[in-house]
This record gives sequence, structure tokens and C-alpha cells, in this order.
Amino acid sequence: MSSFVYLTPFDILTATLLICMAAAISIGLRLGLERRLLLSAARCTIQLGMVGLILDWVFNIHHPAPVVAWLVVMLLFASREAVARSKWRYAGIRFDALLTMIFSAFVVGGVITQMVIGIEPWYNPQYVIPILGMIFGNSLNGISLCLDRLIEHIRSRSDEIELLIAYGATRPEAVAEPLQTAVKTGMIPIINNMAMAGVVSLPGMMTGQILAGSPPMQAVGYQMIVMFMITAACALGAMAIATMVSRRLVSPNGMLKLDKLILKTSRS
Amino acid sequence: MNQYFLECGPFTASAPDGRILYRDVEVSIGPCFVLLYGASGCGKTTLLRQIAGLAPSDKARRVIKGQEYGADRLPEWRSRVTLMAQDAPVLRGSVEENLVFPFGLKNAGKRIFDRAKASKLMEQTGLGHVSMDQRAKSLSGGERHRLNMIRALLWDPDVLLADEPLTGLDVPTAEKCFSLLRDFTARGGKAVICVLHDLEYRNQVDVLMHISDSGIQSGP
Repeated sequence: MSSFVYLTPFDILTATLLICMAAAISIGLRLGLERRLLLSAARCTIQLGMVGLILDWVFNIHHPAPVVAWLVVMLLFASREAVARSKWRYAGIRFDALLTMIFSAFVVGGVITQMVIGIEPWYNPQYVIPILGMIFGNSLNGISLCLDRLIEHIRSRSDEIELLIAYGATRPEAVAEPLQTAVKTGMIPIINNMAMAGVVSLPGMMTGQILAGSPPMQAVGYQMIVMFMITAACALGAMAIATMVSRRLVSPNGMLKLDKLILKTSRS
Repeated sequence: MNQYFLECGPFTASAPDGRILYRDVEVSIGPCFVLLYGASGCGKTTLLRQIAGLAPSDKARRVIKGQEYGADRLPEWRSRVTLMAQDAPVLRGSVEENLVFPFGLKNAGKRIFDRAKASKLMEQTGLGHVSMDQRAKSLSGGERHRLNMIRALLWDPDVLLADEPLTGLDVPTAEKCFSLLRDFTARGGKAVICVLHDLEYRNQVDVLMHISDSGIQSGP
């Protein structure tokens, strides 16, 4: 039987006092952080408040259209964010990130929501939105790390790659090492998270479920599914983006196309 | 019709400022030693890279010993017509790994790494003091150039495209390395196209090839 403490606006206001306390400390110690702290807290409140309102509306409509629309919005934001941190870019990088997200998140998300959990109806927003949100968020990190590492490797060690090519290496042979290194880089945080889950910290979803009144073993079950799911999404995402990038930067007959890379001057 | 050992082209290249370096150049040579020379910035390196299929050359045909290699078979072509790049690149890893890696590639065919020959070439080029386990990146510029030459000679392609292979070498070592390249073609059935900074060795080559914006002129 689930039970949870219902939060009132007054409770949230009390929690806000903690932020005000941190701002007061910043003023006292002349850290100069108070403005950023309060603005970020205000931005967070507005964003989460709006999301809450939209989700309330989506949950009550009982129709797949708003659920799918919400997923598309999440997908577009996640793919944009996945390439935003990359120092180098090329024409089509956002498209590649988008395709990768669709491939990894929807394949894994589809299997989990429709086959493992078997939700009814298939678009049930209570499950679909948070689960896909978690997949997007985590595969975004994997894709972003992998993308950055791979481009940097191909660019900074192009003489070594061209040396392999000069001796007759095929494209897969020439990019094998950069590809492996980049995929590993993309996967390491998620593998560490999986290894540390429950020991160092209780994962976010499990914490949320326990706070919301779920029995701990049920929360653990969901968390395990989520861990495996985001690991798979991250792995597929990293591999897919690495393959796409290496195909963009090395032609099928093994010619390096580094002139396609553009150094990002400011965050777009 | 006269059939050459190596036939490739036409190649056209332009400088970053848009100036045409050369236009519709054809390279047709027999199994011999060719010294390619020309003014600084005239496109010698670019031409070698185009012959090797490492720089764009859309219209070019590439034929060796009568066998044509289309754009889709460039990796195979490069295993037969191999470039020793001007900056003497080395892989991260040991000296031995740098010599062995080509033999693990799909296009290596039946070629196998000859350790005894590698040791002999190391001695001959004055790298006898370098351990096979040493990190290749720790070698000096001149040592890297010699390592590149040893790798290329062990690989034994049909055509070696050597871009300033004697850079950073003292005179006796440079002469030794040049004679090794010379021996490579002297055995027959092999060719070298070598770019050198000066014409000191002009009397020891079979063909002199001059490149300029008016094209290629060659002669014995």
C-alpha cells in the first residue's frame, strides 16, 4: 500500500529558505554567488512548474498525441544538448545526434516500456515520459562524451590515422582505435554508476519511488531495469554516433576529410 | 602501345590562395628511381599524396603493372604504392609496433614481418642503439625518418613515394639511407619517386622529374 506526504506550497516555500540561507552565506563570505544562485533557483522553479503543469495536462487527456509530442520535444532538446558541448562540429552533426537518439532511446525504451514492463495503454504517460526522459538524459551524456573524444582523437592524431591509411588500412581498420577509445569514454560514467548503485548513493529513481511510498524491493526492481536500460541506450548511442562521425570524417576509400570540421566559437 | 610500370593521372592541384599549382599532370614511369624536384610550394608533396590516393583527385586513373585500381580499391592501391610522409609520422607504441602494424592489415596479403631484416636495417641506418621496446614517440626527428624508411623497406611495396626522406640526417647517414632506397629499385621490378630538397644526388638517379605550374618535364 503506497502512501506519501502530500506537499503543500507552504512546504516548498520552506525549502526555498535553504536557498536563501545559502545566498546569505554567499553575501556574508563575499563569494558573489548569490545572484547566480537565486536566478538559477528561480529558473529551476519556473521550468519545473511549467513541466508539472504540462504533465498534469498530458496525464489527464488520455490520448497518445500529447504524449508523443512531449517525447519529440524531449528528443529535440536532448539531441541539441548532446552536441552543444562539442568543441568541434561539422555540417549535419545535429542530425547525426538526433538519429542516434532515436535509434538508441526508442529501441531500448520501446523494449522496456512495451515488453519488460508491458504498460497499458502503450502510451501511458505515467511510465513512458519518466522512463524515456531518463534514457534521453543518460544517453545524451554518453553521446556527448563519445562525440567529443572521437572528433578530438581523429583531429589531433590525424597523422597516425593517415599513416595506417598510407599502408593500405581500410576505413574500419584506420578508425578502430579512435572508435574504441571514444565508445569507452562515453560508457565509463554509466558503468561506474551501475557499479556504485546502492553503495555510494541511492539512485535518483529509486529514491523518488521510495519517497513516493513504493515498497523498497519494487523500487529496487524498477531501478535495476532502469540501470540496464540506460546502460544499453548509452552503449548503443555511443556506438552509433561513433560510427556516424567516423563515416563523416573518413571517406569509404580512406581519405581523411578534416576540412569538414569547424571549431565552435561560442555556444549556440 | 607502350605500357608503363606505373601510370596515373591526370592530377590537378591548387594552392590555398586559389593559384593553380599544376593542371592535368600525368605520371608514367618504368621500374626505376625518379627524383622529383621543383621550387618550394610548387606541389611536390601534394602530387605524391595524389598519386598515393591520400589527397582528392577525382578524375585520376591509377594503373600499376597493367592493373587498374578504381576509387573503391584505393586501400589496396596504397598497399602497393606506399607514401613515406614528409613529417615521418609514428604511432603511439613501441618501435617494434611501428614496424609490425602494416603486416596485420587486411591488405597485407601474404607479407610477413621479417625481424632479422628489421634488425639489419636498424643497424645499417644507424639505429642499432634503439631498442625495439622503446617508445617511438621518444625518437628524435632524424630517428623517426629512419624508422619510416625501415618500415617502408620492410613493407616492400611496388612503388615507394618518399617525401623528403633524408630530412634531419647527417651527411654519412643520409648517404647510407639514400643508397638503401637506391638498392630497393636496383633489384628490379620496383620504383621510387623521391622528393629531395636539393639535387645533390641527381647523378645517382634514373629519371629527373621537374614540376612547375607548366606541368612535369622529365629526363634521364
